[in-house]
Amino acid sequence: MTTRFCLICTFLCGICSIGKGQVTAGDSLFASGQYVASRVAYERALFGTTEPDAVFSASVGKARCLKQQGLYASAVTFLNGQLQSNLPDSLLYRLRHEQILSAYLAGQFENTLSLVERLPYLHPDASPAPMLLAIRVLALNELQRWPTADTAYHELAALVTADSTLPNPYRALPRLKSEKKAQWLSTFIPGAGQLYAGRPGEAVVSVLVQSAGLYFGITSFINGYYLSAWGVGAGLFGSFHAGGIRRAEVLVRQRNQQRANAFNAQLRERVIGLIK
Amino acid sequence: MTPFRFWLPVLLLCLVQTLYGQTLPSFSSEWRFARYLADKDATDEAEFVLRHIDQNRLSTSQRDSLAYLTGWLAYGAKSLDSASQYLLRVSAASPFYVKSQYFGAYCLAFDHHRDSALAVMQHLPAPDSTLTELKAFQQAGLALLQRQYPRYDSLRQQFSYASYALSAEEERLDAYRRGLATEKRRSPVLAGMLSAMVPGLGKVYAGKPKQGIAAFLPVLTLGLLTWEGYRKDGPTSLRFLGFGSLFTVFYAGNIWGSTVAVKVRRDEFNRGYDNKILFDMHIPLRNLLNR
Repeated sequence: MTTRFCLICTFLCGICSIGKGQVTAGDSLFASGQYVASRVAYERALFGTTEPDAVFSASVGKARCLKQQGLYASAVTFLNGQLQSNLPDSLLYRLRHEQILSAYLAGQFENTLSLVERLPYLHPDASPAPMLLAIRVLALNELQRWPTADTAYHELAALVTADSTLPNPYRALPRLKSEKKAQWLSTFIPGAGQLYAGRPGEAVVSVLVQSAGLYFGITSFINGYYLSAWGVGAGLFGSFHAGGIRRAEVLVRQRNQQRANAFNAQLRERVIGLIK
Repeated sequence: MTPFRFWLPVLLLCLVQTLYGQTLPSFSSEWRFARYLADKDATDEAEFVLRHIDQNRLSTSQRDSLAYLTGWLAYGAKSLDSASQYLLRVSAASPFYVKSQYFGAYCLAFDHHRDSALAVMQHLPAPDSTLTELKAFQQAGLALLQRQYPRYDSLRQQFSYASYALSAEEERLDAYRRGLATEKRRSPVLAGMLSAMVPGLGKVYAGKPKQGIAAFLPVLTLGLLTWEGYRKDGPTSLRFLGFGSLFTVFYAGNIWGSTVAVKVRRDEFNRGYDNKILFDMHIPLRNLLNR
């Protein structure tokens, strides 16, 4: 009986070592920068074993390769498939963790938030991980939902540090300008929308070209060139005026994006500093 | 000898063989692994595995299986030229032969190699009545793509309109046949002449009314400005010469644009029908053969 037990154990150990061997092979290929070969080795482990630890290590290994190659969206899809396997809850939680990180890196911010918010229902016993809270804050920042991000940031700060004197970065939110206001300004005062967007040079150019069209139209009309006044003067003025309105809107949007990016970059540093 | 002493070497031998099998995998295990990857949409990994199989040591049937899976991966990745090459390499003895031939021919048709597709489709295997009808359907689709209506009319005699996998597509091919027959043959020369008479009218005739209006307005404006320059400043004035030159360029450009518009409209019409025909040729292939 004991002999049989020993034999079975030996055999099972051998079989399990096949999956682990492939994971190790994947790890060494990853270390040498052969990412596709490494992905194949991890897939080979997934193909050959159902042993939870090996499945988990191979899944994380392949996701790591995909991330290293910048294929973040592929990593999200791959991990989605791996979450269907019969892994223990603790390992599934860690896989979901990996998927959330990949979704954030892929720029899928809505998906990131959805995955983070699903986690407490799927794993009610798991305590909130600082890393996940940080990713939530960062995703909310990218979506410019700063009031919600502010609350999430404070939850994170309360979790990782007992220091309540930390300065609140959300007190100095970037002042974003209104695209609509820029449009209205440019409609009634040529160049004012560009000036509002903080581009005085473009404002001057816009005023000059619109004035030139208007001047040509008026002088042509005064001199009796009615068709030229309509076809060239009014045509040029109308085109530059409409273009100026659209340009003002684009400039405000670009400026808002720049400000938001600068604010988010500064916050990213702080959030990373908190969870380090 | 105790049972332990007898079984231990046997078990170790099995284990060593299994581990050795992992380091030097057989073709069948590699092929199954590649197929598993293909099913998981891990195309890069599957291609990597197939590329590293030593083809010199393979039997004919193994080569067929390898060509089939490589072609199928290329088909999935929409590299249709490569897909048709690999799929049509599969020999008649292979269990993948029927599927490879049908999909290979379809890839050729999709990739605008219509004559090559016709040559393959004429020899498609049809071991039962469903595949006989499918073969006729594919050939009929190709005849429509080549705009060979008498050949289509002859092939459609084999449509039963009763097969669950083909009836809807057969009816749609008939509808495309009727739609293609109603195509108006427009003349580029006539379009150019119409635009010479009334700027933009050639584009309206070509079937692009919005472009016609968009072409008419600038030519009219420049014409009026030229007339004003001539009337007020005379034929040697800079105003007349400047606007007159611009008017001439726009007027001649509009005539040339109208002749091109006929060709563009015809290409759009043909491309629209080709896409619909290819789409409907594809549906029964996937339903009947992608198993």
